[in-house]
Amino acid sequence: MSVAALLPIAVPLVAAGLSMALLGRLRAQRAIGIAASAATLTAAVWLLIGVHHGGPVTVVVGAWEAPIGISLVADRLSAVLLVVAEVMLAGVLAFAMGRRGDERSMRFFHPVYHVLAAGVAISFLTGDLFTLFVGFEVMLMASYVLLTHRADAARVRSTITYVVVGLVASVFFLVAIALTYAATGTVDLAELASRLDTVPSSVRSLLALTTLVVFGIKAAVFPLFFWLPDSYPAAPAPVTAIFAGLLTKVGVYAILRTRTLLFAEDGPSELLLVVAGATMVAGVLGAIAQDDIKRILSFHIVSQIGYMIMGIALFTAASLAATVFYVVHHIAVKTSLFLIGGLIEDVEGTGSLRRIGGLARSRPLLAALFLPAALSLAGLPPFSGFVAKLALVEAGVSAGSWAIVGVSVTVSLLTLVSMTKIWNGAFLGEPEGPPAVAERRKLPVLSTAAAAAVVAVGLAVAAVAGPLLDYAGDTAAGLGAAVVEEAP
Amino acid sequence: MSAPSLPIRRRSTALLVPPILVVAAYLLFAGHNRPGGGFVGGLVAGLALALAHASDGPGAVRRITRVAPTTLLGAGLVIAGIAGAGGWLGGGFLDGGAVELTLPVFGTVKAASATLFDTGVFAVVAGMVGLVLESLSGEETPS
Amino acid sequence: MIPSLALSFFAAAALLAGFGRRLRRTAVWLALAPSVAAAATLLAHAPRVLDGEPVRESISWVPSLGVSLEFSLDGAALAMGLVVSLVGAAILAYTVWYQRDPIPLLGRLNLFAGAMFGLTVSDNLFGLFVFWELTTIVSYSLIAYDDRSPDARKAGVHALFVTALGGLVMLVGFVVLGTEAGTYRISEIAAAPPSGPAVTAALALVLAGVLTKSAQVPFHGWLPAAMAAPTPASAFLHAATMVKAGVFLAIRLAPVAMGNDVWQGVLLTAGIATMAVGGWAALRERDLKRILAYGTVAQLGLLTVLAASEATVAASVALLLAHAGFKAALFMVVGSIDKATGTRDIRELGGLRRTLPGTWVVAVAAAASMAGIPLTLGFVAKEAALDALLAASPAIAAAVAAGAVLTVAYTTRILGVFWGPERTAPSSSPAPGMTAAAALLAAAGVAFGIAPGPVEALSGSAARAAGAAAVALPAWPGPKPALWLSLGSLAAGWLAALLPIGPRRGTAAASAAFDATVDGVLGFARRATAVLQNGSLPVYLAVILATVVAVPGAALVTAAASPAGLVPAESWLQAAVGAAAAAAAVGLLALRNRLGAILLLGVVGYGMAGLFALQGAPDLALTQVLVETVTLVVFALVLGRLPERFDRPARPAVGAPIRVALALAVGVFVTGAMLSAAAGRADAPVSEAYLERSLDEGYGRNVVNVILTDFRALDTFGEIAVVATAAIGVAGLAAGIRGRSER
Repeated sequence: MSVAALLPIAVPLVAAGLSMALLGRLRAQRAIGIAASAATLTAAVWLLIGVHHGGPVTVVVGAWEAPIGISLVADRLSAVLLVVAEVMLAGVLAFAMGRRGDERSMRFFHPVYHVLAAGVAISFLTGDLFTLFVGFEVMLMASYVLLTHRADAARVRSTITYVVVGLVASVFFLVAIALTYAATGTVDLAELASRLDTVPSSVRSLLALTTLVVFGIKAAVFPLFFWLPDSYPAAPAPVTAIFAGLLTKVGVYAILRTRTLLFAEDGPSELLLVVAGATMVAGVLGAIAQDDIKRILSFHIVSQIGYMIMGIALFTAASLAATVFYVVHHIAVKTSLFLIGGLIEDVEGTGSLRRIGGLARSRPLLAALFLPAALSLAGLPPFSGFVAKLALVEAGVSAGSWAIVGVSVTVSLLTLVSMTKIWNGAFLGEPEGPPAVAERRKLPVLSTAAAAAVVAVGLAVAAVAGPLLDYAGDTAAGLGAAVVEEAP
Repeated sequence: MSAPSLPIRRRSTALLVPPILVVAAYLLFAGHNRPGGGFVGGLVAGLALALAHASDGPGAVRRITRVAPTTLLGAGLVIAGIAGAGGWLGGGFLDGGAVELTLPVFGTVKAASATLFDTGVFAVVAGMVGLVLESLSGEETPS
Repeated sequence: MIPSLALSFFAAAALLAGFGRRLRRTAVWLALAPSVAAAATLLAHAPRVLDGEPVRESISWVPSLGVSLEFSLDGAALAMGLVVSLVGAAILAYTVWYQRDPIPLLGRLNLFAGAMFGLTVSDNLFGLFVFWELTTIVSYSLIAYDDRSPDARKAGVHALFVTALGGLVMLVGFVVLGTEAGTYRISEIAAAPPSGPAVTAALALVLAGVLTKSAQVPFHGWLPAAMAAPTPASAFLHAATMVKAGVFLAIRLAPVAMGNDVWQGVLLTAGIATMAVGGWAALRERDLKRILAYGTVAQLGLLTVLAASEATVAASVALLLAHAGFKAALFMVVGSIDKATGTRDIRELGGLRRTLPGTWVVAVAAAASMAGIPLTLGFVAKEAALDALLAASPAIAAAVAAGAVLTVAYTTRILGVFWGPERTAPSSSPAPGMTAAAALLAAAGVAFGIAPGPVEALSGSAARAAGAAAVALPAWPGPKPALWLSLGSLAAGWLAALLPIGPRRGTAAASAAFDATVDGVLGFARRATAVLQNGSLPVYLAVILATVVAVPGAALVTAAASPAGLVPAESWLQAAVGAAAAAAAVGLLALRNRLGAILLLGVVGYGMAGLFALQGAPDLALTQVLVETVTLVVFALVLGRLPERFDRPARPAVGAPIRVALALAVGVFVTGAMLSAAAGRADAPVSEAYLERSLDEGYGRNVVNVILTDFRALDTFGEIAVVATAAIGVAGLAAGIRGRSER
């Protein structure tokens, strides 16, 4: 079992090394990519099955027991998020490989993409606060490079915001780690969970709030979200898609993990509820003010993060389960929407709603892919987004938090408004001006298939919503206890 | 950027670079017991590359490393991975196993797998400096 | 059995969408098959259901949320299901001849029929909601069917937003209701209805769904706008079935809701207002389809009034059946006229009695039922309603009678196109199939008006399922007050039709209000986003720093403490090095010269190295010195390409005082936090264990190196990946710059 927890980290790192060493040999790089994806995905599924049957798995890296060494901990939460992440990573890799054009950028894309995958896996699996920082850094550095690679001046400029905000967040993350170490003498999460009990509560809430701000920047919550809509839309489609699906969710995961494991007693729930509502509203207002597919979708990431925070803020077993389910749903749906947006840009030459139209007639396949994903995002039945939002609303109603329930429902309607805007603008009607590309371009086969597969994953989330939500419920129940348990 | 290559400086470089590289190697292997290690050694090696690059201009880095800097980067990661996997076969992933070796100059070198791991670190850091030097001075990206 | 019926509609829709064009004629049979099958199955089960034995089935979906697809075929479901399948079959048949390229439309109508059928037989609140929202989406797609028309798209959006808003609010109501009842199964809620203030709140929220879906005032504006849809879709969704979903839900929830004052009050008020507004607006319209649409609004108001009270539930079901028949038939009639003459404006039409005789006969029969002329189902239902209302609440009876006057008046206006002088001559006559489909529905209205027995059984069974009493539906009620009221409103309505009520000028108020709301929200969103997302990095950083100071900083105020034995500096040398590094950092901010700034940055770095060395960490110091040196070399490489000086912005986005204040505040925060955290430490740090075990077990005397390569090797592995990636990133950026200069 311990191998299964190690492989998702070790395989992509070694694959990144091989891919760098073989830079420019595109066939070899592709083969490495496929092999690494297959291996990590298999390991992640294996891990999920193991955790499901045998309980949380703790792996000591090296011969040193935590807190001297580092331990990896896979519980239900990390295992299920890891599997979803690996599926998305594989799907987006296939999408990227299927795109036509710039081979020169693909040779750099491959190794960096592996690094990104490793960072995500480290973040999900680590049982150590400092290693979480390392995981974030690995992920962030890869994201900086993917955003700026062979970028034109405009893209570099929009990425500067992303990089600078990322660095500032990293500095405060280090401050938070230093504070935690100063107060407890350890950075091992399991050890921290017990040692924090002896720390004065005022210091504990200082630590809780500092980490919350750090992870809040990563997760793009109000008022710390602005870096996201400025930088994501500029990147190439596969890059935006994987960022949209995974990166902010790692921030949400970190909030969820630290809130449940370390700061369960002194969590700022009221503050978080306000943050959740403000994030939903600010994101959706931004979205309906946009006229470009990727910009609309980028603002929706922010809005959706608000829902996940809502579940954490309510802090009941049902609401945490709802958040876990929401994250899973969102990763799949958001990735697929960005992939479809990327396909539209590929074939139409632009994502501006003013310059495209009538895709439902000219590209029925794209319409068929977009529709379920968009409706799911808006929370309409029978898609996964409906189940996710319903779970949150039920949790909110049982907790008596009427204000946040009202906000979430209103934002849901506004989400539908902006999805309708894309549908009306891109899929119905006629373009307002001449088309951006003169010739009719064919949809790239592999990329389209990859996008379709990711959409299918989103539909599958809805189909298995019952068992999955039960699983999320068990996950939520196991949070907090998971890390201190040892592997059998 | 074509650096003016004065004959004297070129000769001094030829004289300086090999000893610096030896120091770098020393730092790498001695690091487990004395100040040093793969990271520091890699930086010193990188300084040697920078020195050569500044005096000899384009191509200097490649003449020392023989391989593309990206190959160094990749090899470093793979070596670190192998060291980790080796440790894992013995005890656990990234477990530092120990072998005692007595070498001239370095004295007794213990901890083989940790040193192998550090070699990977060394290669990555040196490769990083090399790649930055090459790409910032406008040399075609290696492949 | 029941789920498979709904599924067969979806299957037909999918097949038509995928292969419809290739199937040609078979496609028509495919489109009709599910409706016929559903009708046959329902009729086969009818005897059992009418005896009060509902058919129940369920499929589990998300049990932990109470979401299951549970189905129940009771009296109300049977009535509505027969409307969906039988009226639907007639409309689908009509579509085959009406629509130029019918297959896509037939597909979507089947999709709708499946959703509506599912809604009808759902026995779970969430299951019902699933189908409810599905009908909303299909309705949108049908209204915007002619997607090249901006008006059609706008009308679709109008309907979508209003009904989706109501649906979402209703969903919250469902959650509260289900939580109170302990179950989301409608039949179980009906069997043991919960009560209390929470239930009242839940019902108030559910009302939002009922009123929006059934186009009640003030949400009714979407329904006339929805007339942009192809006429068969208008007939099916916006007359016969979907708009009745709200009324249907009210009947479904009657056992829990009927006694509730808020529920009843809102339904009665909205219903009466809707009758008045709809009837009056119908008189001011000149477009046949829009007259019918406003007529539907008015009739929905009447249905809502009837669904609000126990005494009139049975009558409401009877009227629902009658309305589905005559209104669908009249829509088909209008479609035929439109297709034959090219216009729907009553001012351009006349004398069609002679040119379109078949259509005329159908129109008269259907209109008779709508106006409530004896020997039609419309008359029978309205009589029963008035009879019950006169006994319960004469004031409401009077209001209903007044509504009937308006109905008769606009019905007369519609029939006017068949009399008088000929104006626009038909260029073709409607296909016999179209007339036949409409005739079937119109004939049913007359047949059940003469022999209302089956309707009586059906409405009685539905009423009993809703916990209300069945009522007798005689074909001829005899001389009772209700009859005089009916006949009086017939006469008054005929006279009212002669009044010169002018056409409406400008857009309808409801439509204008919707536009204003949308524009307002969009404008607000643009302004809010312009403030929140202003694109200025300095502002973003200021917000982040302010958040750090405000949020964890607030906690620091209570946590502030300093550890015992705090030493300001261990030696003069340490203080001097620290001061030099700090001074260089401050000087860096003032400097505009790039080379100078880089050198000062170096001083900061070397200063840090000095502090490490003085603290007894030679390894860290060595590393720091080397990193600084390599950084300087790299800077030297790029410096030549950059301007000599930083440019100073004319007007900084964040003023200097704010920047200084924030910087100081963050510095104070970090220092204070560090002191407080260190003061709170209770356990021994792990570093002591590192020192102990490094030599013994890590085989090394250099503890930093042992940590890096052994204790925490995973971190190092990750960090070298960061280093390698950063190098690749530099190469990639450089390649981007080169790529541009080549171009």
